[in-house]
Amino acid sequence: MNFTSDIVIGLEIHVQLNTKTKLFCSCPTQGSEEPNTRTCEVCLGMPGSKPVLNKAALEYALKLALALECEISSNLTFSRKSYFYPDLAKNYQISQYEIPLGIKGKLHLKSGKTIGITRVHMEEDPAALVHPNGMVDSKFVLIDYNRSGNPLCEVVTEPELTSPDEARDFMKQLIAVLNYLKIFDQDNCIIKADANISIKEKDYTRVEIKNITGFKEIERALNYELERQKREDVVQETRAWDAETGVTRSLRKKETEEEYGYIIDPDLTTTKIEDSLINKIKQDLPELARDKALKFVEKHKIREEDALVLSQEKELAELFEKAVEHVSPTLAVSWIRHELNRVLNYNKKSLEEVKLDEVQLINLLKLIEKKTITENVAQKILEKLIEESFDVEDYVKENKLNAVSDSGELKTLCEEAIKESSKAVEDYKSGNEKAFHAIVGVVMRKTRGAANPAEVQKIIKELLE
Amino acid sequence: MNLEQLNQEYHCFNIIQDLQEKEEGKLKGLKISVKDSICVKDMESAAGSKMLEGYKPVFHATAVQKVLNEGATIIGKTSQDCFGFGSFSMNTGIGFSQPLNPIDKTRVTGGSSGGSACLTKLADFDHVSFGESTGGSIACPAAYCGVVGFTPTYGRISRYGLIDYGNSLDKLGLIAKTVKQCAEVLEIVAGHDEKDSTSIDAPVDQYTKFLNKDIKGLKIGIIKESLQEGIESEVKAAFELTINKLKDKGAIVEEVSLPLTFKYGISVYYLIAMCEASTNLAKLCGIRYGAEEKPEGNFNEYFSKVRSENFNEEAKRRIILGTFARMSGFRDAYYIKAAKIRTLIINEYKELFKNYDVLVSPTMPNVAPKIEDVKKLTPLQNYMMDVLVCGPNLAGLPHISIPVGEQTLPIGFMIMGDHLQESKIIQVASEVEK
Repeated sequence: MNFTSDIVIGLEIHVQLNTKTKLFCSCPTQGSEEPNTRTCEVCLGMPGSKPVLNKAALEYALKLALALECEISSNLTFSRKSYFYPDLAKNYQISQYEIPLGIKGKLHLKSGKTIGITRVHMEEDPAALVHPNGMVDSKFVLIDYNRSGNPLCEVVTEPELTSPDEARDFMKQLIAVLNYLKIFDQDNCIIKADANISIKEKDYTRVEIKNITGFKEIERALNYELERQKREDVVQETRAWDAETGVTRSLRKKETEEEYGYIIDPDLTTTKIEDSLINKIKQDLPELARDKALKFVEKHKIREEDALVLSQEKELAELFEKAVEHVSPTLAVSWIRHELNRVLNYNKKSLEEVKLDEVQLINLLKLIEKKTITENVAQKILEKLIEESFDVEDYVKENKLNAVSDSGELKTLCEEAIKESSKAVEDYKSGNEKAFHAIVGVVMRKTRGAANPAEVQKIIKELLE
Repeated sequence: MNLEQLNQEYHCFNIIQDLQEKEEGKLKGLKISVKDSICVKDMESAAGSKMLEGYKPVFHATAVQKVLNEGATIIGKTSQDCFGFGSFSMNTGIGFSQPLNPIDKTRVTGGSSGGSACLTKLADFDHVSFGESTGGSIACPAAYCGVVGFTPTYGRISRYGLIDYGNSLDKLGLIAKTVKQCAEVLEIVAGHDEKDSTSIDAPVDQYTKFLNKDIKGLKIGIIKESLQEGIESEVKAAFELTINKLKDKGAIVEEVSLPLTFKYGISVYYLIAMCEASTNLAKLCGIRYGAEEKPEGNFNEYFSKVRSENFNEEAKRRIILGTFARMSGFRDAYYIKAAKIRTLIINEYKELFKNYDVLVSPTMPNVAPKIEDVKKLTPLQNYMMDVLVCGPNLAGLPHISIPVGEQTLPIGFMIMGDHLQESKIIQVASEVEK
């Protein structure tokens, strides 16, 4: 290949699909964590057992391949990828080789750059290896087959990423697609990547880095490797990413491609992927993050940056869409992108977890827009709203939280405050700005936050001058 | 009949053990022996190999479950070439005895379902055996032992619970004294199974209705190549006698040719079977079931030791050849090419079935050879013994071997049908049997 950029990166990403049952048997993919309890003769590879394809997994994988704009293969074929490793129940993995499910797809980065997808294929997850005393010291390895046979989708990119930052963004965009499709469970399922990276300075000598989990790690691992390649001699090899110590370590030098002796899996018949199935899935595909972001900019005239952040999470984007039917897009962006996220982050919760009452949130935004309540009050109500659902309007009435906007009433309160704070008034007049805020604070306390601080400041300033 | 005594003399069983789950059913009173490579729950199912000694499946093969549901009694596991790797039942696993021909103990039973055929010949009770054929492992021992060997269309009987040899070729089948017994049990065990993706979802015929049905006007093709070089004269004579009998009954008999099948069949069969077998056997590494050794060294050292010590020579040969043929660099020339020619071979048969109801040939070119003579054969000479049976197996066609002739040593007459045409085979076979 003729590369021109300084850095060339390609990714192979493994995504666990969140089907209820495994790829080739009916064992549950989630449940008891007690080792080797979610297993049967099929996912243990017992002689005599045979795999049967989970149709839901095929549909999930098709969703992904179609969302990535892949060409879909007309036939579904599985292959046996043979290699001896203790985590493989059969010492071969059922995967796809000659005929992957999808080819020639693409995914857009935040920057608008398009990254080519070489292939999307399905395969089974191996078992988990447990090293009781750490990888180095353990004298033996335990095998937990609970994971064995979980459905995975592998997404392989063209070597078109040119920085660790782009690789991170690719992963982020991919996760957004997965979330929109609801085929991935971010809390319980793992997304892993192997990355190929080479640099111009070293004649694009290719190094593969294995076992990178999550999009933050990919940037870390690639940054480390990039620096290492600049610093050291580079040989074609496979390295492992050690997240704990933050370094890559040589696993094996590879002079030739690995040998997997692929054959078509004769236990799984080659079947036609019906156009009717493809069309149905296509029709049911939701509007994806990028489409939504473009629409937000176009229709609601919000900033692209805001649109991209809002669209990244499906729930957030949908909430925004509902909100702009009632309030201005600017207000919606400010409260949904910034305030809501702040409150969620503070509580370390996701939008899905808090089961936010959307109707009430929108009621709250309406009150803010009408200036019925101040932003201060609104923030406090929002904090309460993510804990429990209640009628926002009633709550404001009952607790007398209406903004004191009658400037006559406000003026009286301000005059009172000035009288009560003679020391502060004096300090202010002698040039202490802080003292001014103390007087404003008194008014705010009197109104229990229901006054507009800007208004209060304005009145006090007038009164003192 | 004392099975233990019988076994001491003929080594037809690996395990003698009774199992009955239901008292009543269509197969009440029938005793069924099961080739070792077919799983019976909680009964050691080692596929005749030391590598799987002690493996007690946690499930029944679907076919086994079906006969148990109909009141049949399983009586044990029959001896075989380990994993089905052989044509004479001489390649039994390390520590397993070879079955002996029930007519002449100095001769082989044929293989790989040798124990099943031997027991079927000797049994003095109502008995049918489950065999398995990848490239002729039912027809061959049936011919050498003088019993009926029935191999249905690929996918007609579920492979669930069969310890795989070559998955795209493996077929469960039946060995019995009569065609009628085969038809009766086939009606029970044939049919779609959601646990086996390759099983066929098509209605099951009432096979017994085709017993003793007139064959007048039926078109039969004699495979020309099967009567050419290498065929023993007494086999040829018995075959021709049977042909005359069929003509007398009104069948229209013509000579047909399968040039491609006879030129490439053996090569294609062994390439595909070995490629698949070498991946199937990979799972046997001394960790989860079967043979174990003292855990020493790293994983590579451990499984190499277990496999070196517990696979016999033929298993090793097939693993090495099969692995070689699917390695990058050789894969296109061997594995992929074999798969393509297999399609051409299937088409060659399909063309003939446009004009003929069934095809016929001798099952084996000879009578059961002497054990001493088989020992002298090279591996290639061994493989060439499958020349007549490998074609229908490669094409997934149903076929039956029936004993014919008056000689002391049995001779098999083979009838092959188009896919899912088991009924026609039964129809012709029951005429031959008369």
